[in-house]
Amino acid sequence: MKPPSGGPATATRPSSPEPAAEQERRERQDRSGSWSRRLRSRGAWTGRPAVLWAGSVLSVLVVTWCVTAGTTDAGLLDVWRAVRLAVFGGVLTEDFAQTYSVIINLRLPRVLLAFAAGAALSLAGVVMQGLLRNPLVSPFTLGVSPAAAFGAALAILLTGGSAGSGSTLVIGSALGTALGVSALVLGLASAKAMSAATLLLLGIALTQLFEAMTAALQFVADENTLQAIVRWTFGSVNDAGWNDVLVVGACTVAALPLLLWFSRDLNAIAFAGDDAAKSLGVNVTAVRVGLIVVSVVLAAVVVSFCGVIGFVGLVGPHIARLAIGADHRYLLPFSFVTGGLLLVVADTVGRTVLAPSVVPVGIVVAFIGAPVFINLILTRRAAQ
Amino acid sequence: MSLDVASVRFAYRRTPVLEGVDLRVAEGGFCALLGPNGSGKSTLTKIIARVLSPASGTVSFGGRDLLAAPRREHARVVAYVPQSGATPFEQTVREAVLLGRTPHIGLRPTRRDWETVDAAIERLGLSELADRPLSQLSGGQAQRVLIARALAQRPRVLLLDEPTSALDLRYQIETLQLVRAVTREEGVTALIAIHDLNHAAHFCDQAVLLDGGRVVADGPPSEAFDAAVLSRVYGLDVRVSRGETGVEVRPAALETVTGVSAAPTESV
Repeated sequence: MKPPSGGPATATRPSSPEPAAEQERRERQDRSGSWSRRLRSRGAWTGRPAVLWAGSVLSVLVVTWCVTAGTTDAGLLDVWRAVRLAVFGGVLTEDFAQTYSVIINLRLPRVLLAFAAGAALSLAGVVMQGLLRNPLVSPFTLGVSPAAAFGAALAILLTGGSAGSGSTLVIGSALGTALGVSALVLGLASAKAMSAATLLLLGIALTQLFEAMTAALQFVADENTLQAIVRWTFGSVNDAGWNDVLVVGACTVAALPLLLWFSRDLNAIAFAGDDAAKSLGVNVTAVRVGLIVVSVVLAAVVVSFCGVIGFVGLVGPHIARLAIGADHRYLLPFSFVTGGLLLVVADTVGRTVLAPSVVPVGIVVAFIGAPVFINLILTRRAAQ
Repeated sequence: MSLDVASVRFAYRRTPVLEGVDLRVAEGGFCALLGPNGSGKSTLTKIIARVLSPASGTVSFGGRDLLAAPRREHARVVAYVPQSGATPFEQTVREAVLLGRTPHIGLRPTRRDWETVDAAIERLGLSELADRPLSQLSGGQAQRVLIARALAQRPRVLLLDEPTSALDLRYQIETLQLVRAVTREEGVTALIAIHDLNHAAHFCDQAVLLDGGRVVADGPPSEAFDAAVLSRVYGLDVRVSRGETGVEVRPAALETVTGVSAAPTESV
């Protein structure tokens, strides 16, 4: 299921670090004290912008290719033509009308929503893992997803199952509950000086609580409502519209520069720990609360619009870290790319593998993500 | 210019740790902070490093209040070497030392930052390991990375919290020699929490003995080390001998058991 158009871009990736490694080896062999030599030995560093660019180009190619995939035939040229028509206007000919409609109204928003949601979850995952100094946490660790699921289930139940998963009421209720619970977690943790362990444990407690509460709602719901509730929890981008793309995309695109601005502080907290980060001039508590809020908002927005899509927020950061290293100045933008790509590819697989029926992306991504994650755990070099 | 700590008090919840500590370290001085476990050595270094905030009291350097300054300003003056620095993520030595530039850099490090980082790496003899991941280093090497990070911070005051406790004898001595060289050559004021009285006596200009959150002795090691005071503080009978090589402390129990076989220079 590898995208054919992605071929040349993937090929550049392994080849770029190679000269750097070569150079590094030479440096080590003849080690003398000159500055210019020492500066050049930073070969490993110059590779990272290249990886970042390759990733960005690859995303554009994969996103375009995923728009062409599906039951209605549409080539790359059709996509280009449709986008040009939609952006610049022009005459829509009779024979192109159906393809145009499929591309602009169905596939493009779907693919873009998948990319934005994946990117948002992956970004949020990087931030949570860095702030809590734990590579096994995800954006949902603080209880965002069960809280959102409870909020959505409550709204669906109170409207008697008439409100669809895309309705404003359900989205608003899910978002409100998720943000409320996160605020509660942060409030409780502030009593214990915001320590990472406290946050993790509170997240576990509230996850259990809200799962039980959702189960209770499901227990009292009738058949139809129950089905609507369960359907909501399958994360999917099936009903993607341009409004969803706009909201999720805007949040994600706005979060990236904001997080990058704090990447220096994030590095200090993630690598040096709370105490040393404080002594390095970082206001640890304020940065931790502020960035957790950003990451929780990202996760809550995605869950509210798309349902629970696990694993992207966990695996996206790990894939990015393997490719580009753990320095947040590079890791943040690259995890944006890996998370987006992962979800777009998973969704394309989901809607083509059993076509015409569509497997929700949340299920596909778990199938892809779990083996990848197990592999990561087993091959992980012992980092204390 | 001097580092001044005045009537600093601190308590973990209701357990008092420091009960009014006063001390002064002259600029370029190398001061050892001594005392039994739980005497408040680590707590005091953490307060000066602003990892903890005291209940009351002041810390100033050259008359400038260090506790009231913005954190970033403080971090440009004071660097702190913690006891250990395990990281959950992979990082190369060079990246780890670059963290020391955190209070100085804006969004991205400049060429000068990298030069400072490489100079610190070279000073600690880590040049060959610069591109290695931290997880491949030995305990002693990892400890030196933390010291390189603090030096890359270009501080005026260097705080070390028991940096030698995990090191073998050679690295203990090398670390102390290095810190002393930094104080001599760059006029950096250093404060080290340390257990080994004889190392402190040999390398430091000043010894401050803490007991139960109070300063019980302060001065040059040869004067500050008093057999009666040390015996009381550590709850162990010790002998203090003053010879040509300086003052030396030895538990009385060891002297009676090993007797003549212990050479006087062994522990220096």
